[in-house]
Amino acid sequence: MIPLHWFLLVAAGMFCLGLFGVLIRRNVVAILMSIELMLNAVNLNLVAFWRYLAPEHINGQMFAVFVFAVAAAEVSVGLALIISIYRNRDDVNAGDLNLLKW
Amino acid sequence: MSLTPLHAIFALMSLFTVGGAVGVVLNRNLIYAAMYLVLSLFGIAGLFILLEAPFLAAVQILVYVGAISVLITITVMVTRCVFCKEPPPRQLTLVAVMAALVMVTLGFVIMTRFGGLTPAADVPADSIEQLGVAFVNPQAYLVPFEVASILLLGALIGAIFIARDDLPRDEEAVGGDDHA
Amino acid sequence: MNLPTLESINLLAVLPVLIVFGWTLVLLVIDLFIPSGRKYWTAWLGILGLLGAAVALAVRFIDARGAAVTAFDGMLTVDGFSLFLQAIFILTAVIGILLALDFLPRHKIERGEYYILLLFTTGGMMIMSMAADLIVVFLALELLSIPLYILTGFARPRADSEEAAMKYFLLGAFASGFLVFGIALTYGGTGTTSLVGVFNQLAEGEPSRDLALVGMALILVGFGFKVAAVPFHMWTPDVYQGAPTPVTAFMSVGAKAGGFAALMRILIVAMPAVGEAWGMLVAILAMLTMILGNVVAIAQRNIKRMLAYSSIAHAGYILVAVSAAQRPEDAPLAVSAAIFYLLTYAFTNLGAFGVVLAVEREDGSGNLLEDFAGLGRSKPVLAAIMTLFMLSLTGMPVSAGLVGKFFVFQAAINASVGNPWILAAAIVGIVTSVISAFYYIRIILIMYMQEGEPQVVLKPALTVALALTALATLILGIIPAPVFQLAKDALLTLVG
Repeated sequence: MIPLHWFLLVAAGMFCLGLFGVLIRRNVVAILMSIELMLNAVNLNLVAFWRYLAPEHINGQMFAVFVFAVAAAEVSVGLALIISIYRNRDDVNAGDLNLLKW
Repeated sequence: MSLTPLHAIFALMSLFTVGGAVGVVLNRNLIYAAMYLVLSLFGIAGLFILLEAPFLAAVQILVYVGAISVLITITVMVTRCVFCKEPPPRQLTLVAVMAALVMVTLGFVIMTRFGGLTPAADVPADSIEQLGVAFVNPQAYLVPFEVASILLLGALIGAIFIARDDLPRDEEAVGGDDHA
Repeated sequence: MNLPTLESINLLAVLPVLIVFGWTLVLLVIDLFIPSGRKYWTAWLGILGLLGAAVALAVRFIDARGAAVTAFDGMLTVDGFSLFLQAIFILTAVIGILLALDFLPRHKIERGEYYILLLFTTGGMMIMSMAADLIVVFLALELLSIPLYILTGFARPRADSEEAAMKYFLLGAFASGFLVFGIALTYGGTGTTSLVGVFNQLAEGEPSRDLALVGMALILVGFGFKVAAVPFHMWTPDVYQGAPTPVTAFMSVGAKAGGFAALMRILIVAMPAVGEAWGMLVAILAMLTMILGNVVAIAQRNIKRMLAYSSIAHAGYILVAVSAAQRPEDAPLAVSAAIFYLLTYAFTNLGAFGVVLAVEREDGSGNLLEDFAGLGRSKPVLAAIMTLFMLSLTGMPVSAGLVGKFFVFQAAINASVGNPWILAAAIVGIVTSVISAFYYIRIILIMYMQEGEPQVVLKPALTVALALTALATLILGIIPAPVFQLAKDALLTLVG
């Protein structure tokens, strides 16, 4: 079978891409998508650890399911906020912001 | 280590996953970025199957590819941002260096600790059943399960509250019916 | 499969949080039948539920006498530490509701959801203080955060409130990404998510240490965002300024205390084996946080922004105490100093925001420092109370703030033998406390020395909240010993 580190490296790469995306993107939808990438990297990590280290204990998969639930909750709230902001501004660039502004 | 079809599938799925992620991050057209996100999430589902977690693969397709991606696409369209381009990124080099540093650290730790590791045991045949039982077993994961359910309820109420169009002008129409 | 027993589930030990959640769900239905415009009924019913939880908490406290037990087979730990923090959360929530009672109708945003969401996040904080499994920590943190994102945007369609909510949401979700990735790596390194399991694995000196170290660093980043530590603080000023003021008051105390509760439990209980590493990181964060928070606060003209930087600075003082807990023998004193500090900060900061609320106008203006001019003449009692809070935030005598700071620095200096980082953090803390006097005392000077006509609206609920917080600040400042004894007995324990 494929060695564990390949899966972990893919997950790490995805996490770093997400991190990169959150910090460089200006549009809130794009930032939200980058955050989703980070959460997916977490899930890949969890499932890979579960399969290779302790397939007899279910906790890795269990954790992944909870990450799904949290991701769904976050996305619903985030998109609701985006739609609300858009409706009240009616401005195409209303969703742009710079998170690195101190 | 001999190459098997599994390796080819892994390579393809990883390509989808990482390539899609690159597309999400770099494509300045939001609708394309959303499509790349679908590709990336689909790749993850494929990797889940390689990891012998078919239930999670199904959930990934249903929840992420099926629901979350569609929601994001709809939001892009509702906000009429289909062809809009965002302003160019700032602090590109700084952020790139930071992300690269994190990647190198993670890669180093992963290689030293897990380099070349293969599975310790087979997946038990009843792993999905175990998952279901563990959710509602007070000795296992009942607490997180209940916390997650309250979390989803809170997010539901909040999302409705935020997205509902009830600016003061139609205050009367909504009245006390707050959670409809 | 063994059948669960009542002893192993231990419902009675977690009764307070069950009351909060159960009552909130009931209230959610009751709220449907309360006509809009009378949503203060929901608020009072919410307070009733919190008082019920407080009674259950007190009974539990008298019953247990500091003995730690687990509930749901090691998922939750009910020890003195969690009881003390739950008391802080319930107090914060009650005062948070009192602050909102007049504010919401005055700003025409009165809705029952406000109180429901506030109770949800309070429940999340309570779970957070008990969580003995990293999965529960993650979910409780989300349950704490998501309702707060919405409360921040509660004054929609006001632009600053919505934008603050967006910013808080994005950075909060980003931070949870870090946190959960760190948890995943810790799980990979140790093969378990329970804090007891992580402790055992790390104590064995496994090669998993590297991975757990990276995991720990990522977890620290995640919590750094939540408690507003530098360099992860950039959301704080905008969010504190944009959020409706009662929400700002509530989250400046509740979210911070919730973050610290879980951070302390993870670092101190599960990871003493790598204590030197995280102790140093936390000390560095603490120094940066105290310096930046206090220095930038001086330049602020808006009181909510100023209090935001002040709240960043106070996170730094608590981080000093956390860093002082890196060695198990120093941990009890440092932990009790940290939770006592959280209590004093809770009263003082809620009170200070209460005064800000009284001066704030309906259109959301009235938050500039100049708006406090003349308060000493027109409302002498209110000005005196504000003076007390400002002195307490500085750490002046006869106020809770001094006692809190004293215990933190005492714990730090105690633990600093052979550890220059903690000593440095303590020195920076004392120096920045002096600097902070500049901007806190400026408010007092403006209130008494400058001429002005502040428009003050003081309704009964706000008056009660102010009286409560001022009294507590004063009492904790004059006779802190009994409460500090409680904090000392509130041990953070590892049971499983």
